[in-house]
Amino acid sequence: MHFLRCVLAEWALVRPRLVRTRLGPWLVVTGAGLVWLGHRGTDPATVAIYAGAFGAVLGAAFGVGADADRAALVIALTHPSTPLAVACGRWLAAALPAAGLAVACTLGVGGTARIALGGIATAAAVAGCALPAVLALGTGAALVLGSCLTIAGAAPPEDLVGFAEPGLARVAAASVLELGPALWRYRAVAERGAGNVGAILHAAGWAALGVVLASGLVARRIRAR
Amino acid sequence: MTTYALTLSDVSRAFSTVRALDGVSLALLPGEIAGLAGPAGAGKSTLLRIAAGLVAPDSGDARVGGIPIGTPAARRLAGYAPETPVFPPALTVREVLSYYARFHVAGAGRRTLVHHALELAGLAGAAHARAAGLGRADLQRLALAQAALGGRRVLLLDETLSGLDPVARRDLSGRLARLAATGVAVLLAARDLAALERVAARVLVLRGGRVVRAGPLAALLKERVLEVILDGPPPEPPPGFRLTAAGLEAPLAGRTVEAALALCHAHRLAVRASRVRVKSLEEIVLDAHDAAR
Repeated sequence: MHFLRCVLAEWALVRPRLVRTRLGPWLVVTGAGLVWLGHRGTDPATVAIYAGAFGAVLGAAFGVGADADRAALVIALTHPSTPLAVACGRWLAAALPAAGLAVACTLGVGGTARIALGGIATAAAVAGCALPAVLALGTGAALVLGSCLTIAGAAPPEDLVGFAEPGLARVAAASVLELGPALWRYRAVAERGAGNVGAILHAAGWAALGVVLASGLVARRIRAR
Repeated sequence: MTTYALTLSDVSRAFSTVRALDGVSLALLPGEIAGLAGPAGAGKSTLLRIAAGLVAPDSGDARVGGIPIGTPAARRLAGYAPETPVFPPALTVREVLSYYARFHVAGAGRRTLVHHALELAGLAGAAHARAAGLGRADLQRLALAQAALGGRRVLLLDETLSGLDPVARRDLSGRLARLAATGVAVLLAARDLAALERVAARVLVLRGGRVVRAGPLAALLKERVLEVILDGPPPEPPPGFRLTAAGLEAPLAGRTVEAALALCHAHRLAVRASRVRVKSLEEIVLDAHDAAR
């Protein structure tokens, strides 16, 4: 119970961030742009999964990307909370607005519930990947991650590994694309719904791994100061 | 049996090759205000961070109210205010306290806790100000408010009174004294020794991670110094005296004023005036620092 209260304390930081930082305007601009693209012919599944991915990257960047936000973690952990609760709460704070954006964009382009689920799965997975990256490397990591997702994450590995040299490089490229929170995988959720258990588990795995990694980074960051 | 609010027993901590703390022991009674003095790098902040559970000691034992530090139960009892407090920048003062209060209580109790913390630190007027835009004094008030949040019994304050204007320092000192009067133990690190003189009942002087002098402030400030103003600078001070801008001075440890002045006359010094004053905490810290070399 106390753990949940600590998680919700982190989640409570979302509203002020949405209202008082550029997170809110960025999410609105991203959503509006994607809906506009949707009305120009981009398919609803693409709109939903990009909304989930970009929303999660923005949420992580504005949640823990700024130096002040990361420095503020020191005082938070002198209260009866834990690094795991902090990481869980920050993941929620990144994933839920992104999921909301994905649902709003899906509605905006007239998509189905299945498509919205694809966007939510993407938000959960990408938030899990972005949170530790941003905690470790700062807001710059969010920009790099967003670019990678846009360029390399959308296509299935078999379309991209051909560009890599044969041998180890190809295996590495295929592994990254196969294991990473690549958007092509969650497109399967948008197209086939919750019946695509592998993709749902993949998203859940990334969410859990992200929280665990972020928790370790928070604990290490406190000790290092 | 005495119940201590905070106990550190033979605590040591090294960072790579630097020994930040070396066998420090300390016991703080409820309601006591103890000061940590010493030069930069003496180990004051490390000691506070260990007591706050942010840094694990390499050896030794640290407990808050009998509970090992680093546990959530210990964090309920001990609050910490760092030297440079940083709060989530998008939040107002009230929201910052409300955020921390969620870790302590749920529901309506949270509002009471926040209200009490705002009053305690004198922040009621700044409750709606953004934390990122606070001045030094209000930032330290907020640091104190969050440290004391939830009725914590031990406050670990790192330079909370340093760098403040005299009025703000007096106000915060008064608030600390009032907290101590309710049984809250305070461990305060300060490079501003005038601030320590105002509030601390006991002072520990650290150097190189070791306690080189400790005692009740009243006992430390008992030492007296004879100041002698001369018509001209002497070629060489008498034994036990040191040169100052106006003449000489010497501690009166174990000798009378008359004996010290007689020594000046014996050295044919033209004494224009003399006075006896109490040794300042700064001098005591400097003496302890020099003696430990």
